[in-house]
Amino acid sequence: MKSLATKLRQLQGSILTIWSLIVYGILFAPVLVIVLFIFNASKSRFNLIWDGFTFKNWLNPFADPTLAQAFFTSLGLALLATLLCILLALPMTMALERFRIKGASGMELLLVLPLTMPEVVLGASLLLLFVQMRIPPGPLALVISHTLFCLSYTAMALKARLGGHDWTLEEAAADLGASPLRTFMQITLPRLAPGLLSAGLLSLSISMDDYVVSSITAGSVVTFPLRIAGAFQREISPQIHVLSTMVLLISLVALVLSCRENDDGHQPNQN
Amino acid sequence: MKLPLTRRDLPLLLVAPGVAWLIFFFVLPLLELLRQSWSQPTSRFGLTTTLSPNPDNYMDAFSLAAPLFARSVGIAALATLVGLVVGFPLAWWIVRRGGRWKPLLTGLVVVPFFFSYLVRTIAWTTLLADSGPLMQMVRVLSLGHLLNNLGLLQDGRLLNTTTALVAGLTYNYLPFLILPIIASLGTIDPTLLEAAADLGAHSPRIFLKVVFPLALPGLISGGLLTFIPAMGDVVNSQYLGGVNDRMIGNIIADLVLIQQRFTTAAAISMLLLLLITFFLLMYMRRYGKTGLGAS
Amino acid sequence: MKRLTRRRDVLRFLITTGGTAAMAPVLSACQPNKGKQNSVPLIISNWPLFIDTDQPGVAGSVRRFEQATGIDVIYREDLNDPDSFFSRIRLPLAMGQPVEQDILIVPNWLASRLIRLNWLEPLPWAQIGNASNLEDSLKKPLWDPKGLYSLPWMVGITGIAYNIKSTGRELNSVDDLFAKELHGRVSFLSMWRDTLGLLMLADGKNITAPTYKDTIPALQRLEQAKTSGQIRSFTGNDYQKDLLVGNLAACVAWAGDVAQLMGENPDLRFVVPKTGGVLTADVMVIPRKADGKREAAQWMNYVYDPINAARIDAATHFISPVKGVKKVFAASSSTAKLIEDPLMFPDKTMANRLHMLGPFSDQDEIAVERQFSKLIAS
Repeated sequence: MKSLATKLRQLQGSILTIWSLIVYGILFAPVLVIVLFIFNASKSRFNLIWDGFTFKNWLNPFADPTLAQAFFTSLGLALLATLLCILLALPMTMALERFRIKGASGMELLLVLPLTMPEVVLGASLLLLFVQMRIPPGPLALVISHTLFCLSYTAMALKARLGGHDWTLEEAAADLGASPLRTFMQITLPRLAPGLLSAGLLSLSISMDDYVVSSITAGSVVTFPLRIAGAFQREISPQIHVLSTMVLLISLVALVLSCRENDDGHQPNQN
Repeated sequence: MKLPLTRRDLPLLLVAPGVAWLIFFFVLPLLELLRQSWSQPTSRFGLTTTLSPNPDNYMDAFSLAAPLFARSVGIAALATLVGLVVGFPLAWWIVRRGGRWKPLLTGLVVVPFFFSYLVRTIAWTTLLADSGPLMQMVRVLSLGHLLNNLGLLQDGRLLNTTTALVAGLTYNYLPFLILPIIASLGTIDPTLLEAAADLGAHSPRIFLKVVFPLALPGLISGGLLTFIPAMGDVVNSQYLGGVNDRMIGNIIADLVLIQQRFTTAAAISMLLLLLITFFLLMYMRRYGKTGLGAS
Repeated sequence: MKRLTRRRDVLRFLITTGGTAAMAPVLSACQPNKGKQNSVPLIISNWPLFIDTDQPGVAGSVRRFEQATGIDVIYREDLNDPDSFFSRIRLPLAMGQPVEQDILIVPNWLASRLIRLNWLEPLPWAQIGNASNLEDSLKKPLWDPKGLYSLPWMVGITGIAYNIKSTGRELNSVDDLFAKELHGRVSFLSMWRDTLGLLMLADGKNITAPTYKDTIPALQRLEQAKTSGQIRSFTGNDYQKDLLVGNLAACVAWAGDVAQLMGENPDLRFVVPKTGGVLTADVMVIPRKADGKREAAQWMNYVYDPINAARIDAATHFISPVKGVKKVFAASSSTAKLIEDPLMFPDKTMANRLHMLGPFSDQDEIAVERQFSKLIAS
């Protein structure tokens, strides 16, 4: 015989579980739509109404040439921006974590502030600077803009990893007479590799996803999101769904891999 | 005489490139924004502007954007609130019932957001379309009239309504809400709750007096992380909102991208930044810098 | 030790190949690759649904041109909204730098603005022999009085498109867009010249010499309709999607677009309101310092051959500016009936109902723009 209190508690528990499942459902509803419509044998230009099942789209992800080109443009841009970000953020976060620097909290604030600004203001301010520098919206402006906002994400991701980093190995190497560069290349870098990978992936996906800042600074360069937005008005080809899913799968796989490769024994702090 | 590079210079050397980049491409643009908000263009489509001490741009900004500011704050607050109400139980469930599945369940919250923001929003336009699954359900259950009268539907449709806008905003920022809450709930020692129960407290009381205060930091930082970007949102309003749902971000984007009125856009942007700084300062006053960097 | 080496190798591999992989697409986006015969690829920006695209078994005009001339064409349908398009090209041109495109196909008022700003190259007329096929009424037009900088591509009619199943009846006037039973199911174009032009005609104004004052009643009407929820959205080209999918019952639209959409949804109709429709010429211009002037001339010459022009027109259903298209249509049984379409070949009655929006004074134009933008952006 269960008491009223226990029954109440069980009811609470069930409601909680049902609620949570509903929320998961809402979270995944768009995902379902996207993935489902990959297999839509869409007859119209708009892949919005279900027309029948087909594998054709999945097998031809690059059937739409302008879409494919936009995809690779975004990829190249993202890779370049991520590279720059890591070159800028890695030394910075390492120094901030390892050494005591005057003005460190100011620098950390500076790193975080771009994330608190609305993207449209970030884009507008960058555009105004570019106008002064006579840099037209285009590839250069894009790379600079993307590097800027990815920098904050990369720095945060690296900071999380470095937080638990055990510096004793590096200190031992220094005691043994190794130069800072050598210590870095042979000891720090390999241990940081999974952290770098996940920070890099984060930066990649942020860059490939950017719409607002890109719409202001891209000029005539057509990135993947810009192409989707432009196309949305004229057509929604199944290839959009296919390519987006591919990006998702790759990000997922890489994320899982980077979680597995955990040599240091500390839990990676994911975002 | 050239000074040798010592080990002591190393930290500064390491931070220098990053700091320089941030100063040049983050701080300088903001200063330029400020300058432009106090300038007038010298010709309609030319690039040069002259500094002029009159607050014309700000007057323009007020008359153009005052209602939009109010609307943006309201909608962002609503989306944050709805998100908290929807997300908190899930966070609680993951922390308390997750057990060894906790990382997986937490990860699942984030997975949908690996899809591009745009693609997700477009998927929502499919879901909310007049002929889409949700509207079909509404028709089957004959909820149309009721929801229309409640203001949730507009003219019997779900897309291009305030409802869709709030739903989209809430959805897109849900992980930003849920993750910090999970983090702060995770710090609650379960024995604390058992002790409270043993002392005779009922669940609601335990919740109010023990759980809620301890979860508050996560709620607040998650809320802030949602509220502030939501205020400046452009995409959800464009695709999901109706003609009367334009937000601050939209007018800035319009002034920059279509009307080419940079000086007015700069003034509105400055006002928006002021508003955000105000909220941030209010937060930092009470909670310091905690939660800002940790997310 | 083994693990360390493997990861280090991976990293090294990533950096070297990742870097080169990264550079390639970005670099290629910066420089167009040199095509055959020392010719530069021709980059064209145009509206969507404005050319005959490749169909199964039949090559579109772009491909035909490429095969006929050996010139690579990069044809972009990236004009959704002339104002945002202008803002994209404005900055480089104002900085004295070239834009990517060699040919822009823009509405006549935008061409007029570009001419006044001195941001266009005069067309290489010597190499466009077929330009003599231009309809006489379009020679030395108002927007290009010297006739040096532009060559019309298509002339379009702005009117009302509707789905007869959704409206339940035929529509024929602008007032229909404000009808109560269509509440929340209509849209207007975000391009004020089309929208206000149509409304001004409905107000009985003469739009060949318009003033800001003339637009006030139209603006007020729109404002009211917007706040009451009568208008579902202000759209660029994207009204097409909404019309097809059924989000809209009626909207302001362009004739040729609707004719093409009718193939996908036969319930769609287009009508020029009783009070009149707006005529806009979309013209080809060459931006300053474009490097493909020679190739551009060849394109223009190609599309002004009546046979090629007819092919494009048969697919797009707009009004062709090229003389002789009518004859080409008449000669073939499959296209003969197109001649009777008043939207493609306006007869006297239709022509009387079509009006081109004249230029505003600079001051008035700014005033109208501000008011309209305030309306749709807030």
